[in-house]
Amino acid sequence: MLSESKLAPIRKGLLEFLVLKIVGARSVYVPDILRRLAGTEFATQEGTLYPLLSKLRREDLVQYQWQESDAGPPRKYYRLTDAGKAQLETLDDYWHRINRTISEIGH
Amino acid sequence: MERIYVTARLNGTSLQFEEAAFARLESYLAEAGKALEGNPDRAEILADLEQAVADQCRQRMRADQVAVTLRNLEPALEEIGPVQVPGSDASDAPPPPPRHDGRHLEQVSQGALISGVCKGLARYMDLDVVLVRIIALVLLFISGGAMIVVYLVLMMLLPFAPYQPGAGQVGKLPAKCREFVEYVRSKLSAAPG
Repeated sequence: MLSESKLAPIRKGLLEFLVLKIVGARSVYVPDILRRLAGTEFATQEGTLYPLLSKLRREDLVQYQWQESDAGPPRKYYRLTDAGKAQLETLDDYWHRINRTISEIGH
Repeated sequence: MERIYVTARLNGTSLQFEEAAFARLESYLAEAGKALEGNPDRAEILADLEQAVADQCRQRMRADQVAVTLRNLEPALEEIGPVQVPGSDASDAPPPPPRHDGRHLEQVSQGALISGVCKGLARYMDLDVVLVRIIALVLLFISGGAMIVVYLVLMMLLPFAPYQPGAGQVGKLPAKCREFVEYVRSKLSAAPG
């Protein structure tokens, strides 16, 4: 049986890629990201997402802008920087290459 | 008697908490702060988390409620989850939401009648909760009431099962029991020695 301990590191490594993809599609705030991931294998909580976003911002891959909301305090809207877009493209390419390798090997 | 509330400032917005809920929030934030030790974005992440707690609690409060209770806070913290720092293997916790395997002896507030001891026992032993309650009642009569002490001891000692979405509401009495137990525990852990 495939154990969870083997699957968790795979998901963990891919989470950053997925967050870049979500932020890359359009400007989003944290609940948008959580909603997009909920129900997938990558369901994530704020306790995980905030540190990750801070790390991505420090690496200059994402940036955020404060935007007023109708209800409650202003929200941080995240989007990709140019460096983030370039990194997303590279990751996308890499992912396709890996996928091809995986499906070709052993056949 | 007058109820005392604590006002917390969460990322700039004020929110009132009941004492037990405030103690729980303090310990959550302290744990988060510890997990972020040495992180250059520590202050920012903590501010984001505070904001998330405030938003989540507000969503869970009734319109006429003045202060956040443990009953509001627990599911809120459950949803936000523990702080996990990317790239650190120290925080290799299982992914959310934590599925419960029911192998731990705990009390279960959701769907409980009193504090959830019978419900917890039933889950632990894989029995119908109604059967466990009947056995408990029979023992209560046979023992001439001494079972009440056993119940209270278990209630004070057993940990509470984490809140699980879809596992039913927490009734008024179980919520009060839990609030009381957590309050006593927070007082005991705060006491020196």
